[in-house]
Amino acid sequence: MYILKRFLTMIVTIWVITTLTFIIMHSIPGDPFASDADVLPEEVVENMREKYNLDQPLPVQYLLYLKNLATLDLGPSIESKTRDVNTLIADGFPASALLGIQALVIAIVFGLILGIVAALNHNGLLDYLSMGVAIIGISVPSFILAPLLIKYFAVDWGLLPVASWGSWEHTVLPSVALATAPLAIVARFMRSSMLEVMNQDYIKTADAKGVSTIGIVIKHGIRNALIPVISFIGPLVAFLLTGTFVIEKIFAIPGIGKYFVDSIFNRDFPVILGTTIFFSAILIVTLFIVDISYRLVDPRIKLSSKGE
Amino acid sequence: MKKMFFGVLFVLVLVPMLAACGGDASEEGEGESEQSITVNAKSEPPSLDPALATDTTSGWVLDHLYEGLYTENKEGEIIKGLAEEVEVSDDKTTYTVTIKEDANWSNGDPITAEDFEYSWKRVLKPETGSSFAFYMYYIKGAEAYNKGDGSVEDVGVTAVDEKTLKFELEKPTGFIEKLLAFWTYYPVNKSVVEENEDWAAEADNYVSNGPYSLDSWDHDSQLVVKKNGEYWNKEEVSMEKITWEMVNDANTYYQMYKSGELDMIDTLPTDVIAQEKGSEDFKITPYFGTYMYMFNVEKEPFTNPKVRKAFTMAIDRESITENISQGGEDPAYAFVPYGVDTPNGDFREQKEAYFEENYDEAKQLIEEAKQEEGWDEIPTVELMYNTSENHKKIAEGVQEMLKQNLGVEVTLNNQEWNTYLDTTKQGNYQMARMGWIGIYVDPTPILDYYLGDSPNNRTNWVSEEYDSLMAESKGIQDPAKRMEKLHEAEDILMEELPFMPVYHYSQNYLTSQDYKGIVYPVNAMPYLQWAEKK
Repeated sequence: MYILKRFLTMIVTIWVITTLTFIIMHSIPGDPFASDADVLPEEVVENMREKYNLDQPLPVQYLLYLKNLATLDLGPSIESKTRDVNTLIADGFPASALLGIQALVIAIVFGLILGIVAALNHNGLLDYLSMGVAIIGISVPSFILAPLLIKYFAVDWGLLPVASWGSWEHTVLPSVALATAPLAIVARFMRSSMLEVMNQDYIKTADAKGVSTIGIVIKHGIRNALIPVISFIGPLVAFLLTGTFVIEKIFAIPGIGKYFVDSIFNRDFPVILGTTIFFSAILIVTLFIVDISYRLVDPRIKLSSKGE
Repeated sequence: MKKMFFGVLFVLVLVPMLAACGGDASEEGEGESEQSITVNAKSEPPSLDPALATDTTSGWVLDHLYEGLYTENKEGEIIKGLAEEVEVSDDKTTYTVTIKEDANWSNGDPITAEDFEYSWKRVLKPETGSSFAFYMYYIKGAEAYNKGDGSVEDVGVTAVDEKTLKFELEKPTGFIEKLLAFWTYYPVNKSVVEENEDWAAEADNYVSNGPYSLDSWDHDSQLVVKKNGEYWNKEEVSMEKITWEMVNDANTYYQMYKSGELDMIDTLPTDVIAQEKGSEDFKITPYFGTYMYMFNVEKEPFTNPKVRKAFTMAIDRESITENISQGGEDPAYAFVPYGVDTPNGDFREQKEAYFEENYDEAKQLIEEAKQEEGWDEIPTVELMYNTSENHKKIAEGVQEMLKQNLGVEVTLNNQEWNTYLDTTKQGNYQMARMGWIGIYVDPTPILDYYLGDSPNNRTNWVSEEYDSLMAESKGIQDPAKRMEKLHEAEDILMEELPFMPVYHYSQNYLTSQDYKGIVYPVNAMPYLQWAEKK
């Protein structure tokens, strides 16, 4: 019952997002053929508008779009004349997702380790060191970090290729560049949450019972400290899986990140809608998984639609 | 429950690692000794269907995959391509073309006249939605059919027999051969296209007729073409394999060139141009386009021609190209760029400058304009440009020059490209930046920009005399006389100055010294088929 309810909510959410995006998108000035309209006779532009149903009144376009969306058809792309939006996403998503997953693993594994180490050495040298690393990670933007990685690892030391796609070597630098900021955030979350948990009475009880520090940390500390971190990881998964404009541009990754931005500049309406819906769908699904994983981590949390 | 969590983590860690290892590392390294070159397309070609392509990236790839009835040789001259013989009627409107006997598609099918008829009518068919269909309006009945006022039967293209194509023109057209070499006029394989409407989307179904055939196409990443064994003129093709990477970031492709992952790059990051200028790899070629500022002649102060002239005379173009844009551009004192070959030499060299940069005279003109219009001061001018670092720097330079040399206050404003096009189209500007590149090397596509009914002409400037001279020029067969008319038209334009030219574009390249024989045309990306690797 709970799952069904959640599912219906997801559909409604997607519909609301689609509608809002549709309205906002059509209220920005310019249209997909603005550049073409420069060069082309009006009739030719008309032919093209007809091809993409743009000659219809907006409500009709909206209904047509919803109708296609119901069959999971995201429509044609105006900019890419030979590939439709479904193909664009199908072609680009694996690359974005692969980088995203690798970055996620790096961010979570190293973020947790840094956070835990910092918390256990509260106000110690390791704490300052880890948090120093974390602050650098948050404050150095990826468009600075990425060229630096390229300069040292690819150009100066020749260890890895500069950019492009094809082998696992190509994924290393972008994954690292992508992981740095979330890694730092996870580390900071984990540290403060861990500090809080380690001051709880049950930790003291365990300590008094003579459980070893490592045992306490693993059995009671990490598990209880994870909850706030999981709340952050949910949206993070959606952001990382769907690619990022900057990293994909710098490393020439054939992902979908750039379509989120380019489609708006090109006024490529079906791509704007398609990528937005795709992103929302992934976000909603990961949020759902996050809700379920709360329960895995803390059985006291009940899955119910109350109090949402 | 904890186990499950770690299980999830395990999957998260392991799966991507396995997936990453599964990548095709074997692709690299095979047959590096062969004649191959890796270049940068910068982005995914939007379409490899000749009927739908409208951009230089697609054009670059298409020019290597196809050949039209005419083609360009190494020297940039238009010569016969697939056409064996061309008969022209006395009134210069009916062309009968015999297609080469040994001309085949990359799948082995012979190229027929029917393919041409089908392809051209496909471009014109309104449902195809071809943006470049208007390049075919020179053909009889084409315009009416494309605009929905005529029928396909009235389009003057017919396949007489298997290898004979006949087409009629609306009126004699002096530059038709240049058009026939252009990608919109390339044929497509009728049976392939009819069978699968998405034939041009992937490498598998793709059939071409030129020096190369499409080998693989990883969207947004890499495109590979290999020498087409069915091409009639394959002996002339020395480069066996061309790889286009799609790297958009200027710093990244520069680094890839430096580390040997790319053999040729164009459009270097501006901050490395100065540093690379002395290098043997560095090359600057003129590019067939003009960077300009349009004047809205219906908005003050540009309603007064003297103000337009004064503005035009008051900026230092050499300083702009040398200190600001720095890409080796030519300062422009006219509209048509260098590079058009005429019977009397280069079109531009026959008449290089229409005005001189003379600040005193410019100030004088401003004073006269003030008196004529009864202005105390010149109304404030807002200069618009589309958002870009380079345009901004140039606009700031111009702003400063106009202030110093003319004493005119200019404010700056910028908009993102699509919004900008909308704004300028509606005429909501006084002075606005624009660039224009000729799709084929002739004054016509450049000068057509300011025709009264041109959708590009956003200046509100309309001259009947100019329009009629342009129309006349299009019907003249004799090249020398045609160029004369075009000069006359440009004279009028440069007298009235609905815009001011700033510079003629240039293109810069870094090319590895391992290659020779690359041809750099003035209006297209380099031709690689004649290149050789040492």
